[in-house]
Amino acid sequence: MRIKNWAGPVIFFALLFVPLLSPEGYYYRTLCMIFLWVGLASAWNLTSGFTGYIDFGAVGYFGIGNYATALFMTRANVPFFLSIVISGILSGLIAIFIGRYTMKLRGAYFGIATLAFAEAAKQIVLEFDRTFKVRFFEGSHGITLPIAHNEVFFYYTFLVAVSTVVFLVFVINRSKFGYALKAIKEAEDSAELAGINTRRYKVSVYSLTAFLIGIFGGINAYWSTYISPLDVFSVLHTINMIIMALFGGTGTVMGPVVGAFVLSVANEVIGSRLLYTWLLTLGVILLVVVVFLPRGITGSLSLKRFKR
Amino acid sequence: MRYVKALLFIGIVAGFLVPSVLCAQSAKFRIGCELPLTGVFGKDGNLVKDAYTFWADTINATGGINVKGKKYPVEIVFFDDKSDKAESAKLVERMATVEKVDLILGGFGSDSVFAATPISEKYKYPMISGGASSNKLFERGFKYYFSTLGKATEEVRGCVEIATILNPKPKTAAIIGADVLFSALACEGYRSYLKKAGIEEVYWELFPISLDDYNSMMFKVKAKNPDMVLVGSHLKVALSVMKSLKEVDFAPKLVAFSYGPTVPDFVKSLGKDAEYVVAAAEWAPNMPYKDAVFGTAKQLNDNYFKRFQRYPDYVEVASIGGALVQQWCIEKLGLVPPLKEADRVKLMEELHNGDWNTVYGRIKFGADGANVDHPPIAVQVQNGKLTTVFPKDAAEQPVMYPAKPWKERK
Amino acid sequence: MSLFVQALVTGLLMGGVYAAYSSGFSLIFGVMNIVNIFHGELIMIGAFSTYWMFSLYNIDPFLALPVSIVSVGVIGYIVQRVLINRVVEAPPMISYLCTFGVHLILSNLALLLWSADFRTVTTSYSGVGFGVGPITIPIARLVTFLIAIATTYGLYLFLEKARFGKAIRAASQDKEMARLLGIDIKKVYALTFGLGAAITGLAGGLLSTYFVIYPQMGLPYTIIAFCVVVLGGMGYIPGALLGGLLLGILQSLTATYLNSGLSVAITFILLFIILIAKPQGIVGKGIVE
Repeated sequence: MRIKNWAGPVIFFALLFVPLLSPEGYYYRTLCMIFLWVGLASAWNLTSGFTGYIDFGAVGYFGIGNYATALFMTRANVPFFLSIVISGILSGLIAIFIGRYTMKLRGAYFGIATLAFAEAAKQIVLEFDRTFKVRFFEGSHGITLPIAHNEVFFYYTFLVAVSTVVFLVFVINRSKFGYALKAIKEAEDSAELAGINTRRYKVSVYSLTAFLIGIFGGINAYWSTYISPLDVFSVLHTINMIIMALFGGTGTVMGPVVGAFVLSVANEVIGSRLLYTWLLTLGVILLVVVVFLPRGITGSLSLKRFKR
Repeated sequence: MRYVKALLFIGIVAGFLVPSVLCAQSAKFRIGCELPLTGVFGKDGNLVKDAYTFWADTINATGGINVKGKKYPVEIVFFDDKSDKAESAKLVERMATVEKVDLILGGFGSDSVFAATPISEKYKYPMISGGASSNKLFERGFKYYFSTLGKATEEVRGCVEIATILNPKPKTAAIIGADVLFSALACEGYRSYLKKAGIEEVYWELFPISLDDYNSMMFKVKAKNPDMVLVGSHLKVALSVMKSLKEVDFAPKLVAFSYGPTVPDFVKSLGKDAEYVVAAAEWAPNMPYKDAVFGTAKQLNDNYFKRFQRYPDYVEVASIGGALVQQWCIEKLGLVPPLKEADRVKLMEELHNGDWNTVYGRIKFGADGANVDHPPIAVQVQNGKLTTVFPKDAAEQPVMYPAKPWKERK
Repeated sequence: MSLFVQALVTGLLMGGVYAAYSSGFSLIFGVMNIVNIFHGELIMIGAFSTYWMFSLYNIDPFLALPVSIVSVGVIGYIVQRVLINRVVEAPPMISYLCTFGVHLILSNLALLLWSADFRTVTTSYSGVGFGVGPITIPIARLVTFLIAIATTYGLYLFLEKARFGKAIRAASQDKEMARLLGIDIKKVYALTFGLGAAITGLAGGLLSTYFVIYPQMGLPYTIIAFCVVVLGGMGYIPGALLGGLLLGILQSLTATYLNSGLSVAITFILLFIILIAKPQGIVGKGIVE
């Protein structure tokens, strides 16, 4: 429907003016967190939702992005925006290498291979300095970044980043590229027979996802001011991306956006009240969604459910 | 259907924007505290929660904080950071800006507290914690962060210096620890104290905190046959190390942990296997500490047991100590709730100036916020009880040394 | 030299533990194509069963194993009947969400009921081993190892020879044909899940004697089980044993000759390489979609 196409830009313009309301620092921080997760979930969905290859190692690129930015900024005094772009490109390049091999696998095997990649990356960062007797990653000590207290700065940085990602997904969704991806999800072998170079498409989108996740990782490093391997390479982040995307509905543009938004807000509002029972409640909610709304929230609400 | 979706959306956003407490205050102090109540440090976070609750209940029983003759009860609002540092930063910001609490009490876990300190600094909320001691916390030049614990690398001093009173003196030691900030620093502390004591370091390994099976590593340690094994640990690591030592059948003459055995579950879970274990501590019930609010260390110990059916770990008492000195500063400065930023700046300065004797011992914050001159203690599990063994003048009993081999223990 | 042999022995015993708690995962995946994300919680419940039997009623953990087996098996069966059966025909993403939801519920329910405390079972003979020359073999681990072999072999025989076992295999190979032949697929699935859960509960029950247990311990175990099973070949029951032993020996040798941290890194790197080279698992008999 027409309305759907305008919703995005309208929301974007509305968000541009939020700082004029001078909200408290906490709201900036929370909005930034929401933007971060919307961005990550959308980026993850770009590969996994569209192609059906469930990536369990996405946090690997998040970690790489964090560390690349942290190192470039603190060791080489590279300015922030250049750092995050480099982080994204680095992640993307590594993904081309990783994707080239892992995307020969299907289903759970692909999942485990990518998981192995992320866990190996984490451990390598932890062990590197000790093994090679250098001071580089700083292992479990973590890296401290300079403090930039300007919350408005991060607000707009995240806003621009997340808007770009969502827009990118929107464009791809309607493009030939997106069509090929969905064909891969529906029937990869047939697509191959029809002449689509599935490998090129898969690795391309995987690399794009990694590039985007890497950029968010870079922003995260500067925003957090302190990063450590167990934190930025944690498998829990990948799980978050997956759950948010699935909850909202994979393979759609707004699915991960809605999923990430609803879950983040719910975590904030309900999670801080139900100190001990929030996660339990979330589990129940997930089951309810699975049983009654198997296509996720947007999938079920979409009237275009049967349109191809 | 669209309407429902829209209403839902608006409802969620509205519920999110409305501050949680709009009630008129003034008659009490609202204190915010964010802790890992779930997640990997959930156990420790809940201990600190108990500690702060104990402090609040104790002074509320007398009416509250005594400012200029009038009593103001305290109310602590707890938040769960799920052991995640982004959450902890967000929650501190929330407490400062939305909840607009009068005061903050510090959390647990160096990583999370680390993420929270720039926030408390920004909003000028003094934050005293009794559960985070990594050296990095004090290296950022912040004025608003305080810790009643000594620095991580110094906390373990007792575990090594104890060697000076042992006969025959240990000649070799192995250092192992979980590869996270706090325990890694503890290991570095061990290393430097071993050098000073002239004891040879024959093994060093930092292992992933997620490791379940320690046996491969432990066989290597056994092969070196060190007199002492020094461990950088939290509770889970400490338990795992003990299980592993028994499985590989190695009983070093002395085993010491940077943290873990002082949590009552340690002895409870291991039973007789916990015997001989030495632990770093910064408080023990037999220490000659006391103050007007909690009485002597022993009295605190007993009252805590009455309340929670368990004895306090030293981190809990350190947390209580922090809450106490903040209270005393407020009373001294005559600050009345609701506190304004200017009040908190004064509070910060007063905290830097003070030098108190509390039930936790002496508290005096250095310029970097760490507790200077708080002597580290070492305790040992003797007959199932934690007994102070070092320093000598504070010792309840002499150290049981060397530990008997596993097969000889009854 | 003795360090090498000890490392090998330690690795084999570690592998036995891995195999013990991973075979159930392999069975469930092999038959129903479901990646069970709450697998770790089944282990956790099994572990806590023996823990509570020991600490509340002073029943020896080995004697309390039937409680683990039955309680976890029953939970597995119920969850399957009520929940999983609805999503077993759905795309995999749905089963991920579903099993993840159960994971959240079970682990947080355990947290609420039993608190975050770390626990372990310490009996009078805990950790005791016997020496074969300079090599030390802890008894509890050896028992787990033997049980792993026994259950793997038993499961294999069951699937090959027993009537119901054959029904399970039929259902996993060709659902539609099995239905046509009169096999009640839903019943097969439910009992398979229950069986897989029961085996897992057994392994969990043994774990509490040499590992530290806590309500949120599940997820890392799920990940390891996933890795073990993929290594050995998904759905190939003896593969879980093979994969487990291989993983155990690999970890033990690298931890001994390098260190524990590098051991973890190398394990994952190797897993990655093996997957790319041989996605059907080491022996090449795993199910590939």
